[in-house]
Amino acid sequence: MNACERTPCGILRSSHVGTTITLAGWVDSLRDHGEVLFIHLRDRSGVVQIVFRPESTPFEVCEQAAFLRNEFCVSVQGQVVSRELGTENPHIDSGQIEVVASALTVLNKSETLPFPISEKSMVAGARPQGEEAINEDLRLQYRYLDLRRPSMQERLIRRHQITACVRRYLDEQGFVEVETPMLTKSTPEGARDYLVPSRHHPGAFYALPQSPQLFKQLLMVSGLERYYQIVRCFRDEDLRPNRQPEFTQLDLEASFIDEEFIYTLFEELAVRMFAVGGISLPRPFPRMTWKEAVETFGTDRPDLRFGMTFVDATDVFSHTSYSIFRRILDRRGCIKGINVKGQSASLSKNVLQNEYAKEIVPGFGAKGMTWMRMVEGRLESNIVQFFTEHEQQQIIQRFAAESGDVLLLIADPSWQLVCSALGQLRLHVAARLNLVPPGAYFPLWVHSFPLFEATEQGLSSNHHPFTMPDRVDFDPSNMEELLSLNSRTYDLVVNGEELGGGSIRINDRALQNKVFLALGLTEHDVEQKFGFFLRALAFGAPPHAGIALGMDRVVAMILNAPSIREVIAFPKNRSAYCPLSEAPSPVSRAQLAELGLLDIEEPETLPGSEQQHDLIESLSWVSRIALTDTERPVIAESLEHTRFLADTVNTHAGDHEPLFSAVPLEHRTREGTQPRICPLAENRQLFKNAPALKGGFFKVASILE
Amino acid sequence: MESTAFTFRETSLPSPPSPSPLGHMRVLIQPNLSVRGWPTSAGSRALEGFEALEDATIVTLLSKAGAFLIGSAHMSELGLGLSGDTVAQLIAQGQAQIGIMTDTLGEARLAAAHARLFGFKPSQGTVSRLGLIGLVPSMECCGVVGRNLEDIVSAMTAISKRDPQDVSMTKEALPDFDSVPSLRSETARLVVVEEYLDTLESREARAFEHALRRIERHAGLPVKQVHLPDYHLFAPIHQVVGSVEASSSAGKYDGVRYGHRTPSARNWNEMYLNSRGESFNTLIKSYLFQGAYFQFERYASFENACRIRARLLDQAREAMADTDCLVFLTRRPAHDPYRAATIKATYDAFASTLAANVTGQPSIQIPGLVADSEDDDLGVLLTGPALSDPLLLSIALHISKSNKGVSLT
Repeated sequence: MNACERTPCGILRSSHVGTTITLAGWVDSLRDHGEVLFIHLRDRSGVVQIVFRPESTPFEVCEQAAFLRNEFCVSVQGQVVSRELGTENPHIDSGQIEVVASALTVLNKSETLPFPISEKSMVAGARPQGEEAINEDLRLQYRYLDLRRPSMQERLIRRHQITACVRRYLDEQGFVEVETPMLTKSTPEGARDYLVPSRHHPGAFYALPQSPQLFKQLLMVSGLERYYQIVRCFRDEDLRPNRQPEFTQLDLEASFIDEEFIYTLFEELAVRMFAVGGISLPRPFPRMTWKEAVETFGTDRPDLRFGMTFVDATDVFSHTSYSIFRRILDRRGCIKGINVKGQSASLSKNVLQNEYAKEIVPGFGAKGMTWMRMVEGRLESNIVQFFTEHEQQQIIQRFAAESGDVLLLIADPSWQLVCSALGQLRLHVAARLNLVPPGAYFPLWVHSFPLFEATEQGLSSNHHPFTMPDRVDFDPSNMEELLSLNSRTYDLVVNGEELGGGSIRINDRALQNKVFLALGLTEHDVEQKFGFFLRALAFGAPPHAGIALGMDRVVAMILNAPSIREVIAFPKNRSAYCPLSEAPSPVSRAQLAELGLLDIEEPETLPGSEQQHDLIESLSWVSRIALTDTERPVIAESLEHTRFLADTVNTHAGDHEPLFSAVPLEHRTREGTQPRICPLAENRQLFKNAPALKGGFFKVASILE
Repeated sequence: MESTAFTFRETSLPSPPSPSPLGHMRVLIQPNLSVRGWPTSAGSRALEGFEALEDATIVTLLSKAGAFLIGSAHMSELGLGLSGDTVAQLIAQGQAQIGIMTDTLGEARLAAAHARLFGFKPSQGTVSRLGLIGLVPSMECCGVVGRNLEDIVSAMTAISKRDPQDVSMTKEALPDFDSVPSLRSETARLVVVEEYLDTLESREARAFEHALRRIERHAGLPVKQVHLPDYHLFAPIHQVVGSVEASSSAGKYDGVRYGHRTPSARNWNEMYLNSRGESFNTLIKSYLFQGAYFQFERYASFENACRIRARLLDQAREAMADTDCLVFLTRRPAHDPYRAATIKATYDAFASTLAANVTGQPSIQIPGLVADSEDDDLGVLLTGPALSDPLLLSIALHISKSNKGVSLT
């Protein structure tokens, strides 16, 4: 077929009436009215109705059309005509017209589909199709069919438009897209690496990049000045519903810049990206320090679509006689709360006391929750009688409480815990009471995160160790001082979701060493992990900064997709498995041998006698077989021989497929048996051999002593 | 002696239907084969006091064919090895024409060799194992021992029947044991495995040489040599796979629904540990610990053993491509299976029989052909390709008949 002759289905309108056209695409759906056959023909551009009618379509064509089924790939010739009055279809853009077929070629047939693909009803007033949930693994297994659905194609096309807009804008701003290696060395992002064994260096591994962090900084040392890349990154993290082992990042780095440059650049970029989805973001984006965000929203990624900012009430109760608050304040704790405006009617005493105070809030880690309601200008609650009149008045003032409001307070000796629990409570209440306005988008910058955080082993970097501290005169051995340092970091947060983040980097080798020292890394560790990078800093590395944006997340948000898998053409499922290609999959032993992976399978060293003892104990436990002291030496001796046998077998393994039985095994169902209660159970014969019975059950020892 | 050699004797024998193919043949079994109402302890305290609730398929088939089940005799614990076995001895005494013995390492054949009987292990999957209390599912099967080979053939005709309840049976056509008399065994092609010859001690080598000459001279069957390169791996593979399967299938003995329950257990874990600890003797315990070691500490070695098993099957098939059976000695005079107290000693005694359990091939022990310097009948073992059971029995008949009237030494 000549591509020039083909007309896209979706563009046909009343203005085409009278023209003769050639279409090609897939049979989206069929409606057989005996003599007359209607089909919806679908291509990427949309859907149009084709009619096979004996009075206007040649007999052979009608005959051939009778064999059409869903998703046959066909080409059709015909004439565009207006639909009869009253038969227009509002579900499709070409619903005013239809095409009367004069010729039909079946380009390819289709097998029966694993799930319906059509999303457009053929008649007005019908329920739109394609809404019933299809098992996601089935969709992923037949992803090529899933992607035929117009809604899925729309998402991929939009995604393309968003990345195209990013490239266009960054090109305008003088950024250069540079590719960095996929086979590289483990980088310090902190997640688990995906490793790739090297055949040429047996026992050595490449790591797939968790981000191009070091390379992009090296490009700054190289003098590229403005770099970006839309790049695939890999992290072998624990499974989460909205996480992929590989994901796409907009990675960016620039020299001779400061925070303001990044803010301006990315606000404009975000505005343009969201505009592709018809969303206009308000500029400038508000900015908030990390401390402020946690203090007033209980999280470093606040959702600003609704209010309920935290109110601190610690000082209100500084002289309280209410014993619970008293004890907490004596331990230098704090009390914070939120005002749920005008929701008194939706939050009954029962919900507040039995659900929130007893169940939900303890689930957030707090010991409890205090609630008060404003009724006719007065506070009302189960504990209000413990507060003085003055305390009550102050509370009303502090929370600007009016009749119908509900105040929720959390008190705890730990500031972090109060913030985090109240933050979760704020989100929970907002979701429950539908306080989140649909279609609203509130971006903001959260900046100045703490540089370090305390861990059991000492300190770790909050962002990564190449982040510039807010001051450089610190003492790397003074833990208290280190924990008070802030970093020059910034996160872009929209609607409570972190879309990306970055920092001003360290470009001074001495300062970088000081940070490593504070992290407790030895010179040896540093040399082994980052030696090549530190050397580069010593050759006139310019001041530079960067940021990275999670593209899958950004696109999913812009397109309002329920998960990031919906905006990725071929994603892994929730178990990091690809049902389509069945990856990951086992490989042949020959392949493993070639990579030198077989030799590192089992350690060769023989365990000592103490371990031997432990081995017997552990086997005794897993087999649930107790041993007497006289049996122990016999078992030990037989295990010695067993170790030898295992070695013999491993040495001679070869590469046949393992055979578990000389007679080929297959799974079979016993024939002709209906589900039934075993007669031996029914007539209680089964109990005949039981060592102990109690009340018609086998009796066993209790689980605990 | 006689009374203690039995574990159970049936007092009232039913009258068989007439006409009956097995015509009142007296059959002795082991207490690991279920007969309704019979004590069925499989030689283990783990099944102390257990009475079978239903008949095993093979028991039903024998009874239907008119056989008398006269009782059961002693067996080793769960059928591993021969310590304590009395079945072969009772058959040799004439208490029954045939005995049904579980053959896991070669027990039926080796016991037969010790009692100067015939002992036959059929192809894997040709006799139902439903109702058999087993230990090593992929390698064990019901073997038959008897003084006359004809009795064994009749018994096999009766018990080699499809059982839809036993899904582990072969899907191939079952061997036709009625055809045994009509098969041409005078031109059978016999071979010895060269790698097997290398394992023989000098006393065994001399006796084997003698037996081969006798087969050539009297039966007119020349014996050639063939290679089976990995022959030395049969025993290790049997032990790795066998112990893993044993450790897994002995998991069901928990003293809850049947069997021995420890009197002293303060809690649930102690109940399992002690009940099982008190249930098994040291020999079987060693085996179960070995299986646990392969499963929990060196799983790759189990998988590798199964790889080698596949290779051994290929090699055995190849070795038999142009022949009808392999020839071995059944017994090893220096290794007495009845006295073997450790797993190693047990495996040493069964060195020549266990290969057929790994490959699932049919194998028969023939008495009266070979004596060593101490006038001990070591038995000749023939192993044929899978499902060639009738031809193998026919060859054994031919060799055995041609040897009639010839003294051993």
